[in-house]
Amino acid sequence: MNRTLFRLSVQAVAGRRRGLVLLVVPVALLVLALVVKGLADGDTGLDATVGLGFSLALPLVALLASTAVLGPEVDDGSIVYLLSKPVSRHVIAVSKYAAAWLTTMLLGALPLGVVALVLDASEPGRAAALGVGGAVAGTVYSALFLGLAALTRHAVVIGLLYTLFWEGVLGSVLSGIRYLSVGAWGREVAHALSPLVGTADVGTVFAVVAALVVTLGSVWFTGDRLRSFTLRGDE
Amino acid sequence: MTDPSTPTPEGRSVIHDLGYRPYTGTRMPPATIARALVVTGFRNAFGLGRSGRSKILPFVLLALNLLPAVIVGGVAAFASLDELPIGYAEYASTTQVLLGIFVASQAPVLFSRDLRHGTIALYLARPLRSGAYALARWASLLAATLVFLVLPIVILYAVALLIELDVSDQTREAAKALGLAVLLALSLAGIAGLIASWSTRRGFAVVATIALLVIANGVVTVIQGISSESSGSTRVGEVAGLFSPYSLYRGLIGAWAGADTPTPPSSTGMELAYVAVFVGLSAACLVALVARYRREATS
Repeated sequence: MNRTLFRLSVQAVAGRRRGLVLLVVPVALLVLALVVKGLADGDTGLDATVGLGFSLALPLVALLASTAVLGPEVDDGSIVYLLSKPVSRHVIAVSKYAAAWLTTMLLGALPLGVVALVLDASEPGRAAALGVGGAVAGTVYSALFLGLAALTRHAVVIGLLYTLFWEGVLGSVLSGIRYLSVGAWGREVAHALSPLVGTADVGTVFAVVAALVVTLGSVWFTGDRLRSFTLRGDE
Repeated sequence: MTDPSTPTPEGRSVIHDLGYRPYTGTRMPPATIARALVVTGFRNAFGLGRSGRSKILPFVLLALNLLPAVIVGGVAAFASLDELPIGYAEYASTTQVLLGIFVASQAPVLFSRDLRHGTIALYLARPLRSGAYALARWASLLAATLVFLVLPIVILYAVALLIELDVSDQTREAAKALGLAVLLALSLAGIAGLIASWSTRRGFAVVATIALLVIANGVVTVIQGISSESSGSTRVGEVAGLFSPYSLYRGLIGAWAGADTPTPPSSTGMELAYVAVFVGLSAACLVALVARYRREATS
């Protein structure tokens, strides 16, 4: 972990228009929560809103944050100046991951808990569980997408295909995909903390172990990719 | 043959006139340039005429989009069903994720690259007006989107005819789906093109487009789901449907193509409002796009 790199990465995430779009996602979720609160009471509204936050808002925030810390530098080639510094490539990867992770926690996981509180303030335990579940899923998502960004220029599209197509469309048809779905691991952890959250039925131990393995593996992989980095021209 | 030693007449030179032997052949009108630009852009959207690596993504997306149609067609043929398991217009609604990713990822190919690398100056120095350039790029994206939307309909229609379903019924349904596909393609191409021309960072433009399309659709879906359950407030769901291209499409197929969707527009006035918002959204995006390139040309 390198302070300067961390600071620069945070600037890359929060800078200008990207920061605005990142803010729009949780704000949209909160506005939706307020509208739903006005429309209906009971758990249907909460389930639908939190479901949207878990399956769309959280991965999108993680994807934006993770690709922001690495993507533009690779795109315009300025990453070579960073890589030429006498800093371990793994330290670079971890610093960049820290910036992406912090953003995902603040703008992806935290709003989940807040939304749950807005919709039903009588169950703070459930809100906390949702926040923690979101934090687990967000941790894995941001690591996974950072690894993708180090692997390929098309990280954004592949990340979108993973979250929207694999987890979303295919996941709703082929139920076995839940074992390979980051969102399901997060929901399982939330369910373990508060039984009010619907279970994803993958087993808490499996969810935690899978989350740990994918996170550590992806961050290590990012460092490893940066260690043997070749810059390609624009297509 | 004109004498090569005579200088280019006033107003005929295009960019450089260094006094060399001028080009004396016929000069094509701007319409020809625009047509060439549209065709190149259309090919580029599928990676044709670009590197092999950039062909992978659009064709993988296209294949994923067509796969269900082929499977559905095969099932209908082998199980000898008397109707297609999925409606023509419903199909695009089922695969909307792939459609969104395709449009969002290929719009930067057409709109961002010239702006980011500064090659836009070379286009704008030619007789083609900046507005025509913007329109040509938009038309390429629209055509590519339409191919993406129409191919599954064609496959399903061909299967329906081959297993000898009622021709007039199927033709009417397919024609309806085509009309709706044009509406959807118009709005998607407009939105994606506008975002890609604003944000010239490729990855960012893709996520911003998807975030706008998918989050808006998700929010609308949640509201519609809730309002269709509580009987008193279906009106809220109908109005909410106006706020995202996908929900507009879903509302219209619910009203016209008989698809089972929550809170479709229930009155003719509401249907008209859906169509008006659809067309108005596309037109607004197009005007903004032309304005964006006009500013680029004058700055």
